[in-house]
Amino acid sequence: MRILRFFLGLGLALLTHFVGVRLVPQFPLATDLFLVVLVFQGLEGDALAGLLAGVLVGLVQDTLGGGIYGLYGVTDTIVGYATAKVAQRVVIQRPTGVMLAFTLASAAQQVLLALLALTVFPDPVLPQPAWALVRVGTTAFVGLAVWTGLGFWRSRYTSWRTNRTARVHFN
Amino acid sequence: MNERQIRNLFVLILLGQIILLSLQVPNPAKSGGLPENIGLAVLAPIARSVDSGAAGVVGLRDEFRKRAALVEENRRMVAESEHLRLELLRLQDVDDEARRLAAALDYERDRGATLRVADIVYVDYASWLRTLVVRASIGRTTVNQPVVSASGLIGRVIAVSGPYAKVQMITDRAASVGAMLERGRRQGIIRGDGQGGLVLDYVPLQAQVEVGDRVLSSGIDGVYPRGLPIGTVSRVEPGSGFLSIAVAPAVDFGLLDQAYLVDHVALPQNLKESPIAHP
Repeated sequence: MRILRFFLGLGLALLTHFVGVRLVPQFPLATDLFLVVLVFQGLEGDALAGLLAGVLVGLVQDTLGGGIYGLYGVTDTIVGYATAKVAQRVVIQRPTGVMLAFTLASAAQQVLLALLALTVFPDPVLPQPAWALVRVGTTAFVGLAVWTGLGFWRSRYTSWRTNRTARVHFN
Repeated sequence: MNERQIRNLFVLILLGQIILLSLQVPNPAKSGGLPENIGLAVLAPIARSVDSGAAGVVGLRDEFRKRAALVEENRRMVAESEHLRLELLRLQDVDDEARRLAAALDYERDRGATLRVADIVYVDYASWLRTLVVRASIGRTTVNQPVVSASGLIGRVIAVSGPYAKVQMITDRAASVGAMLERGRRQGIIRGDGQGGLVLDYVPLQAQVEVGDRVLSSGIDGVYPRGLPIGTVSRVEPGSGFLSIAVAPAVDFGLLDQAYLVDHVALPQNLKESPIAHP
Protein backbone atom coordinates (compact mmCIF):
# COMPACT_ATOMS: atom_id res chain seq x y z
CA MET A 1 0.00 0.00 0.00
CA ARG A 2 2.84 2.36 0.91
CA ILE A 3 4.65 1.53 -2.35
CA LEU A 4 1.47 2.14 -4.30
CA ARG A 5 1.05 5.49 -2.56
CA PHE A 6 4.63 6.44 -3.40
CA PHE A 7 4.28 5.56 -7.09
CA LEU A 8 0.94 7.36 -7.26
CA GLY A 9 2.60 10.44 -5.75
CA LEU A 10 5.52 10.19 -8.15
CA GLY A 11 3.16 9.83 -11.11
CA LEU A 12 1.16 12.87 -10.03
CA ALA A 13 4.37 14.85 -9.51
CA LEU A 14 5.52 13.90 -13.01
CA LEU A 15 2.24 14.92 -14.61
CA THR A 16 2.13 18.21 -12.71
CA HIS A 17 5.78 18.85 -13.58
CA PHE A 18 5.21 18.31 -17.31
CA VAL A 19 2.06 20.46 -17.32
CA GLY A 20 3.88 23.12 -15.26
CA VAL A 21 6.84 23.20 -17.66
CA ARG A 22 4.48 23.47 -20.61
CA LEU A 23 2.57 26.40 -19.06
CA VAL A 24 5.35 28.25 -17.22
CA PRO A 25 8.92 27.67 -18.45
CA GLN A 26 10.37 28.74 -15.07
CA PHE A 27 8.35 26.06 -13.26
CA PRO A 28 11.29 23.68 -12.56
CA LEU A 29 13.29 26.60 -11.19
CA ALA A 30 10.52 27.63 -8.82
CA THR A 31 9.53 24.33 -7.24
CA ASP A 32 10.53 20.69 -6.87
CA LEU A 33 7.53 18.39 -6.69
CA PHE A 34 9.70 15.27 -6.77
CA LEU A 35 11.34 16.33 -3.54
CA VAL A 36 7.89 16.70 -1.96
CA VAL A 37 7.14 13.06 -2.83
CA LEU A 38 10.55 11.99 -1.53
CA VAL A 39 10.17 13.80 1.79
CA PHE A 40 6.68 12.35 2.23
CA GLN A 41 8.18 8.89 1.80
CA GLY A 42 11.03 9.73 4.17
CA LEU A 43 8.65 11.01 6.85
CA GLU A 44 7.18 7.50 7.09
CA GLY A 45 10.37 6.65 9.01
CA ASP A 46 11.36 3.60 6.96
CA ALA A 47 15.07 4.05 6.13
CA LEU A 48 15.12 1.41 3.37
CA ALA A 49 12.04 2.89 1.67
CA GLY A 50 13.52 6.40 2.00
CA LEU A 51 16.78 5.23 0.49
CA LEU A 52 15.18 3.45 -2.47
CA ALA A 53 12.76 6.31 -3.04
CA GLY A 54 15.77 8.67 -3.12
CA VAL A 55 17.47 6.54 -5.78
CA LEU A 56 14.33 6.40 -7.93
CA VAL A 57 13.45 10.09 -7.60
CA GLY A 58 17.09 10.96 -8.36
CA LEU A 59 16.96 8.80 -11.49
CA VAL A 60 13.83 10.62 -12.63
CA GLN A 61 15.33 14.06 -11.99
CA ASP A 62 18.61 13.14 -13.69
CA THR A 63 16.73 11.88 -16.74
CA LEU A 64 14.75 15.10 -16.98
CA GLY A 65 17.83 17.25 -16.43
CA GLY A 66 20.90 17.59 -18.62
CA GLY A 67 24.59 17.65 -17.81
CA ILE A 68 26.27 14.98 -15.74
CA TYR A 69 24.02 12.03 -14.94
CA GLY A 70 23.83 11.22 -11.23
CA LEU A 71 23.97 14.65 -9.54
CA TYR A 72 20.36 14.38 -8.38
CA GLY A 73 20.82 10.65 -7.78
CA VAL A 74 23.41 11.26 -5.08
CA THR A 75 21.63 14.22 -3.46
CA ASP A 76 18.17 12.63 -3.43
CA THR A 77 19.53 9.36 -2.03
CA ILE A 78 21.11 11.27 0.86
CA VAL A 79 18.01 13.42 1.41
CA GLY A 80 15.62 10.42 1.33
CA TYR A 81 17.73 8.36 3.72
CA ALA A 82 18.44 11.28 6.07
CA THR A 83 14.75 12.28 6.23
CA ALA A 84 13.76 8.74 7.17
CA LYS A 85 16.46 8.54 9.84
CA VAL A 86 15.34 11.86 11.34
CA ALA A 87 11.69 10.75 11.23
CA GLN A 88 12.63 7.63 13.23
CA ARG A 89 13.83 9.82 16.09
CA VAL A 90 11.54 12.85 15.92
CA VAL A 91 7.76 12.81 15.81
CA ILE A 92 6.71 15.30 13.14
CA GLN A 93 2.98 16.00 13.18
CA ARG A 94 2.44 19.72 13.71
CA PRO A 95 2.27 21.93 10.59
CA THR A 96 5.33 23.93 11.70
CA GLY A 97 7.34 20.72 12.05
CA VAL A 98 6.21 19.51 8.64
CA MET A 99 7.04 22.87 7.06
CA LEU A 100 10.47 22.78 8.73
CA ALA A 101 11.10 19.23 7.47
CA PHE A 102 10.32 20.22 3.85
CA THR A 103 12.33 23.44 4.13
CA LEU A 104 15.39 21.66 5.54
CA ALA A 105 15.19 18.84 2.99
CA SER A 106 14.91 21.28 0.09
CA ALA A 107 17.72 23.48 1.42
CA ALA A 108 19.91 20.42 2.00
CA GLN A 109 19.26 19.28 -1.57
CA GLN A 110 20.30 22.67 -2.97
CA VAL A 111 23.45 22.80 -0.83
CA LEU A 112 24.42 19.21 -1.75
CA LEU A 113 23.84 19.92 -5.45
CA ALA A 114 26.03 23.02 -5.25
CA LEU A 115 28.77 21.14 -3.37
CA LEU A 116 28.72 18.29 -5.88
CA ALA A 117 28.82 20.72 -8.80
CA LEU A 118 31.79 22.50 -7.19
CA THR A 119 33.55 19.14 -6.89
CA VAL A 120 32.70 17.84 -10.35
CA PHE A 121 32.91 20.90 -12.63
CA PRO A 122 36.09 22.96 -12.97
CA ASP A 123 34.06 26.20 -13.25
CA PRO A 124 30.55 25.38 -12.06
CA VAL A 125 27.50 27.50 -12.76
CA LEU A 126 25.57 27.41 -9.52
CA PRO A 127 21.84 28.07 -9.19
CA GLN A 128 21.03 31.71 -8.55
CA PRO A 129 20.53 32.29 -4.80
CA ALA A 130 17.20 34.07 -5.35
CA TRP A 131 15.80 31.15 -7.35
CA ALA A 132 17.19 28.67 -4.82
CA LEU A 133 15.36 30.53 -2.02
CA VAL A 134 12.13 30.62 -4.05
CA ARG A 135 12.49 26.90 -4.73
CA VAL A 136 13.03 26.06 -1.06
CA GLY A 137 10.07 28.24 -0.03
CA THR A 138 7.60 26.96 -2.62
CA THR A 139 8.63 23.33 -2.13
CA ALA A 140 8.03 23.69 1.61
CA PHE A 141 4.70 25.42 0.99
CA VAL A 142 3.54 22.77 -1.50
CA GLY A 143 4.64 20.04 0.93
CA LEU A 144 2.67 21.59 3.77
CA ALA A 145 -0.38 22.13 1.54
CA VAL A 146 -0.36 18.50 0.41
CA TRP A 147 0.20 17.30 3.99
CA THR A 148 -2.75 19.38 5.25
CA GLY A 149 -4.97 18.29 2.36
CA LEU A 150 -4.18 14.63 2.88
CA GLY A 151 -4.77 14.96 6.63
CA PHE A 152 -8.17 16.51 5.96
CA TRP A 153 -9.22 13.75 3.55
CA ARG A 154 -7.86 11.04 5.86
CA SER A 155 -9.95 12.34 8.78
CA ARG A 156 -13.04 12.56 6.56
CA TYR A 157 -12.46 9.02 5.31
CA THR A 158 -12.03 7.71 8.86
CA SER A 159 -15.19 9.46 9.96
CA TRP A 160 -17.11 8.03 6.96
CA ARG A 161 -15.88 4.51 7.76
CA THR A 162 -16.88 4.86 11.40
CA ASN A 163 -20.37 6.07 10.47
CA ARG A 164 -20.78 3.31 7.91
CA THR A 165 -19.75 0.64 10.42
CA ALA A 166 -22.16 2.07 12.96
CA ARG A 167 -25.03 1.80 10.49
CA VAL A 168 -24.28 -1.81 9.57
CA HIS A 169 -24.50 -3.07 13.17
CA PHE A 170 -28.16 -2.01 13.87
CA ASN A 171 -27.54 -1.70 17.60
CA MET B 1 16.70 -5.89 6.73
CA ASN B 2 18.14 -4.56 9.95
CA GLU B 3 19.42 -1.02 10.41
CA ARG B 4 23.04 -2.00 9.90
CA GLN B 5 22.33 -3.73 6.59
CA ILE B 6 20.34 -0.72 5.41
CA ARG B 7 23.23 1.59 6.35
CA ASN B 8 25.64 -0.63 4.40
CA LEU B 9 23.29 -0.61 1.41
CA PHE B 10 23.09 3.20 1.63
CA VAL B 11 26.90 3.47 1.54
CA LEU B 12 27.08 0.96 -1.32
CA ILE B 13 24.48 2.78 -3.45
CA LEU B 14 26.10 6.13 -2.75
CA LEU B 15 29.51 4.78 -3.76
CA GLY B 16 28.02 3.34 -6.97
CA GLN B 17 26.47 6.68 -7.85
CA ILE B 18 29.68 8.56 -7.11
CA ILE B 19 31.59 6.13 -9.36
CA LEU B 20 28.99 6.71 -12.13
CA LEU B 21 29.48 10.45 -11.66
CA SER B 22 33.26 10.29 -11.71
CA LEU B 23 33.23 8.17 -14.88
CA GLN B 24 31.47 11.03 -16.66
CA VAL B 25 33.72 13.80 -15.33
CA PRO B 26 36.39 13.49 -18.09
CA ASN B 27 33.63 13.96 -20.67
CA PRO B 28 30.63 15.78 -19.18
CA ALA B 29 28.80 15.64 -22.53
CA LYS B 30 28.69 11.83 -22.40
CA SER B 31 25.33 10.26 -21.59
CA GLY B 32 24.55 8.35 -18.39
CA GLY B 33 24.35 5.04 -20.28
CA LEU B 34 21.77 2.36 -19.53
CA PRO B 35 20.02 4.05 -16.53
CA GLU B 36 19.51 7.22 -18.58
CA ASN B 37 18.17 5.26 -21.58
CA ILE B 38 15.74 3.36 -19.33
CA GLY B 39 14.63 6.61 -17.70
CA LEU B 40 14.16 8.19 -21.10
CA ALA B 41 12.14 5.20 -22.38
CA VAL B 42 9.77 5.47 -19.39
CA LEU B 43 9.45 9.24 -18.99
CA ALA B 44 9.47 10.49 -22.59
CA PRO B 45 6.11 8.85 -23.55
CA ILE B 46 4.49 10.44 -20.46
CA ALA B 47 5.92 13.83 -21.42
CA ARG B 48 4.63 13.34 -24.96
CA SER B 49 1.11 12.46 -23.76
CA VAL B 50 0.99 15.51 -21.50
CA ASP B 51 2.36 17.69 -24.29
CA SER B 52 -0.24 16.41 -26.77
CA GLY B 53 -3.04 16.94 -24.24
CA ALA B 54 -1.88 20.46 -23.42
CA ALA B 55 -1.43 21.27 -27.11
CA GLY B 56 -5.00 20.11 -27.75
CA VAL B 57 -6.40 22.37 -25.04
CA VAL B 58 -4.29 25.33 -26.15
CA GLY B 59 -5.23 24.66 -29.80
CA LEU B 60 -8.94 24.63 -28.96
CA ARG B 61 -8.64 27.92 -27.09
CA ASP B 62 -6.58 29.48 -29.86
CA GLU B 63 -9.06 28.35 -32.51
CA PHE B 64 -11.56 30.92 -31.25
CA ARG B 65 -8.97 33.69 -31.04
CA LYS B 66 -7.20 33.16 -34.31
CA ARG B 67 -9.80 33.81 -37.00
CA ALA B 68 -9.10 37.54 -37.31
CA ALA B 69 -5.35 37.07 -37.06
CA LEU B 70 -5.39 34.42 -39.81
CA VAL B 71 -6.42 36.86 -42.54
CA GLU B 72 -3.55 39.20 -41.65
CA GLU B 73 -1.11 36.30 -41.35
CA ASN B 74 -2.18 34.93 -44.73
CA ARG B 75 -1.54 38.32 -46.39
CA ARG B 76 1.88 38.54 -44.77
CA MET B 77 2.77 34.98 -45.77
CA VAL B 78 1.78 35.52 -49.42
CA ALA B 79 4.16 38.49 -49.53
CA GLU B 80 6.88 36.49 -47.79
CA SER B 81 6.37 33.56 -50.15
CA GLU B 82 6.81 35.88 -53.14
CA HIS B 83 10.01 37.25 -51.64
CA LEU B 84 11.33 33.74 -50.90
CA ARG B 85 10.52 32.56 -54.41
CA LEU B 86 12.67 35.35 -55.82
CA GLU B 87 15.42 34.51 -53.32
CA LEU B 88 15.23 30.84 -54.35
CA LEU B 89 15.66 31.77 -58.00
CA ARG B 90 18.72 33.84 -57.11
CA LEU B 91 20.20 31.03 -54.99
CA GLN B 92 19.55 28.45 -57.71
CA ASP B 93 21.53 30.65 -60.04
CA VAL B 94 24.38 30.86 -57.48
CA ASP B 95 24.22 27.10 -56.96
CA ASP B 96 24.41 26.44 -60.69
CA GLU B 97 27.41 28.69 -60.94
CA ALA B 98 29.13 26.94 -58.01
CA ARG B 99 28.36 23.57 -59.58
CA ARG B 100 29.90 24.65 -62.89
CA LEU B 101 33.00 25.99 -61.12
CA ALA B 102 33.34 22.81 -59.03
CA ALA B 103 33.04 20.69 -62.17
CA ALA B 104 35.71 22.79 -63.86
CA LEU B 105 38.06 22.21 -60.90
CA ASP B 106 37.14 18.51 -60.67
CA TYR B 107 36.04 19.11 -57.03
CA GLU B 108 33.32 16.95 -55.46
CA ARG B 109 31.01 19.22 -53.46
CA ASP B 110 29.36 18.31 -50.19
CA ARG B 111 25.93 16.96 -51.16
CA GLY B 112 24.37 18.65 -48.16
CA ALA B 113 22.32 17.29 -45.31
CA THR B 114 18.72 16.15 -45.22
CA LEU B 115 16.33 17.09 -42.44
CA ARG B 116 13.93 14.90 -40.52
CA VAL B 117 11.15 16.45 -38.50
CA ALA B 118 10.92 15.65 -34.78
CA ASP B 119 8.33 16.69 -32.21
CA ILE B 120 9.61 18.28 -29.05
CA VAL B 121 8.01 16.51 -26.12
CA TYR B 122 9.89 18.07 -23.20
CA VAL B 123 11.93 21.24 -22.76
CA ASP B 124 13.64 22.23 -19.57
CA TYR B 125 15.59 25.22 -20.82
CA ALA B 126 14.93 27.32 -17.75
CA SER B 127 16.43 25.02 -15.16
CA TRP B 128 19.99 24.86 -13.98
CA LEU B 129 20.85 22.06 -16.42
CA ARG B 130 19.33 22.48 -19.87
CA THR B 131 17.76 19.60 -21.75
CA LEU B 132 15.29 18.70 -24.47
CA VAL B 133 13.57 15.45 -25.45
CA VAL B 134 12.40 14.96 -29.05
CA ARG B 135 10.47 12.22 -30.79
CA ALA B 136 11.21 11.28 -34.39
CA SER B 137 8.68 8.78 -35.72
CA ILE B 138 10.58 8.00 -38.92
CA GLY B 139 14.21 7.13 -39.55
CA ARG B 140 16.98 6.14 -37.19
CA THR B 141 18.30 8.66 -34.71
CA THR B 142 21.91 8.36 -33.63
CA VAL B 143 24.04 9.86 -30.88
CA ASN B 144 25.82 13.09 -31.93
CA GLN B 145 23.22 13.84 -34.61
CA PRO B 146 22.75 17.62 -34.92
CA VAL B 147 19.34 19.10 -34.11
CA VAL B 148 18.19 22.37 -35.65
CA SER B 149 15.10 24.56 -35.83
CA ALA B 150 14.01 26.93 -38.57
CA SER B 151 15.96 29.69 -36.79
CA GLY B 152 19.22 27.86 -36.21
CA LEU B 153 21.20 25.30 -34.29
CA ILE B 154 19.62 23.74 -31.17
CA GLY B 155 22.18 21.10 -30.15
CA ARG B 156 23.04 17.45 -30.61
CA VAL B 157 21.60 14.09 -29.58
CA ILE B 158 23.29 12.60 -26.51
CA ALA B 159 21.03 9.64 -25.74
CA VAL B 160 18.56 7.61 -27.80
CA SER B 161 15.81 5.32 -26.62
CA GLY B 162 13.47 4.02 -29.34
CA PRO B 163 11.90 6.97 -31.14
CA TYR B 164 12.93 9.34 -28.32
CA ALA B 165 16.19 11.22 -28.14
CA LYS B 166 17.68 13.45 -25.49
CA VAL B 167 19.28 16.58 -26.87
CA GLN B 168 22.07 18.59 -25.31
CA MET B 169 21.38 22.23 -26.15
CA ILE B 170 24.22 24.46 -27.27
CA THR B 171 23.46 26.66 -24.24
CA ASP B 172 24.45 23.79 -21.93
CA ARG B 173 27.69 24.62 -20.15
CA ALA B 174 29.25 21.32 -21.25
CA ALA B 175 28.43 21.88 -24.94
CA SER B 176 30.91 23.23 -27.48
CA VAL B 177 30.53 23.90 -31.21
CA GLY B 178 33.10 24.81 -33.83
CA ALA B 179 31.95 28.24 -35.02
CA MET B 180 32.90 31.07 -37.33
CA LEU B 181 31.92 34.68 -37.79
CA GLU B 182 30.04 35.14 -41.04
CA ARG B 183 31.85 38.42 -41.67
CA GLY B 184 35.56 37.72 -41.89
CA ARG B 185 35.20 33.88 -41.50
CA ARG B 186 37.18 34.07 -38.22
CA GLN B 187 36.86 30.75 -36.35
CA GLY B 188 36.40 29.99 -32.67
CA ILE B 189 34.57 27.70 -30.26
CA ILE B 190 31.03 28.38 -29.07
CA ARG B 191 30.24 27.35 -25.50
CA GLY B 192 27.11 27.60 -23.40
CA ASP B 193 27.45 30.06 -20.51
CA GLY B 194 25.03 28.05 -18.38
CA GLN B 195 22.67 31.05 -18.13
CA GLY B 196 20.90 30.62 -21.47
CA GLY B 197 23.50 32.55 -23.49
CA LEU B 198 26.60 31.63 -25.49
CA VAL B 199 30.24 32.70 -25.55
CA LEU B 200 32.62 32.58 -28.52
CA ASP B 201 36.12 31.62 -27.38
CA TYR B 202 39.55 31.71 -28.99
CA VAL B 203 39.01 34.70 -31.26
CA PRO B 204 42.28 36.70 -31.22
CA LEU B 205 42.34 40.31 -30.02
CA GLN B 206 43.21 41.70 -33.47
CA ALA B 207 40.07 40.21 -35.09
CA GLN B 208 37.46 42.70 -36.27
CA VAL B 209 34.29 41.69 -34.45
CA GLU B 210 31.26 43.91 -34.00
CA VAL B 211 27.98 43.64 -32.15
CA GLY B 212 25.39 42.20 -34.53
CA ASP B 213 27.83 39.96 -36.44
CA ARG B 214 26.31 36.59 -37.28
CA VAL B 215 27.91 33.41 -35.95
CA LEU B 216 27.61 30.16 -37.94
CA SER B 217 28.80 26.61 -37.37
CA SER B 218 32.20 26.10 -39.01
CA GLY B 219 31.94 22.34 -39.52
CA ILE B 220 35.38 21.71 -38.02
CA ASP B 221 34.18 19.80 -34.96
CA GLY B 222 33.15 16.69 -36.90
CA VAL B 223 29.60 16.86 -35.47
CA TYR B 224 27.80 19.85 -36.96
CA PRO B 225 27.70 20.63 -40.69
CA ARG B 226 29.01 24.00 -41.81
CA GLY B 227 26.85 27.09 -42.12
CA LEU B 228 24.13 26.52 -39.51
CA PRO B 229 23.12 29.81 -37.80
CA ILE B 230 24.13 29.82 -34.12
CA GLY B 231 23.46 33.39 -33.06
CA THR B 232 24.55 37.02 -33.21
CA VAL B 233 27.30 38.80 -31.30
CA SER B 234 25.76 40.77 -28.44
CA ARG B 235 28.90 42.02 -26.64
CA VAL B 236 32.61 42.23 -27.47
CA GLU B 237 35.31 43.05 -24.93
CA PRO B 238 39.06 42.51 -24.92
CA GLY B 239 40.00 39.59 -22.67
CA SER B 240 43.29 37.99 -21.70
CA GLY B 241 44.84 36.86 -24.98
CA PHE B 242 41.52 36.57 -26.79
CA LEU B 243 38.38 38.61 -27.25
CA SER B 244 35.57 37.99 -24.80
CA ILE B 245 32.52 37.63 -27.06
CA ALA B 246 28.96 37.05 -25.85
CA VAL B 247 26.55 35.60 -28.41
CA ALA B 248 22.75 35.68 -28.29
CA PRO B 249 21.36 32.34 -29.56
CA ALA B 250 19.54 32.43 -32.90
CA VAL B 251 16.91 30.06 -31.51
CA ASP B 252 14.33 31.24 -29.00
CA PHE B 253 14.22 28.11 -26.87
CA GLY B 254 11.00 29.25 -25.22
CA LEU B 255 9.09 29.04 -28.51
CA LEU B 256 10.25 25.63 -29.71
CA ASP B 257 7.63 23.09 -30.67
CA GLN B 258 9.30 21.29 -33.55
CA ALA B 259 12.88 20.47 -34.38
CA TYR B 260 14.73 18.85 -37.27
CA LEU B 261 17.27 16.08 -37.02
CA VAL B 262 20.09 16.62 -39.50
CA ASP B 263 21.03 13.45 -41.37
CA HIS B 264 24.54 14.04 -42.59
CA VAL B 265 27.74 12.08 -42.66
CA ALA B 266 29.66 13.10 -39.55
CA LEU B 267 33.36 12.55 -39.06
CA PRO B 268 33.84 8.94 -37.85
CA GLN B 269 34.73 8.69 -34.16
CA ASN B 270 37.87 6.61 -34.84
CA LEU B 271 39.31 9.41 -36.98
CA LYS B 272 38.71 11.90 -34.16
CA GLU B 273 40.36 9.74 -31.53
CA SER B 274 43.19 8.08 -33.52
CA PRO B 275 46.63 9.07 -32.23
CA ILE B 276 48.98 10.95 -34.56
CA ALA B 277 51.57 8.56 -35.93
CA HIS B 278 55.05 9.85 -35.24
CA PRO B 279 57.87 8.68 -37.46
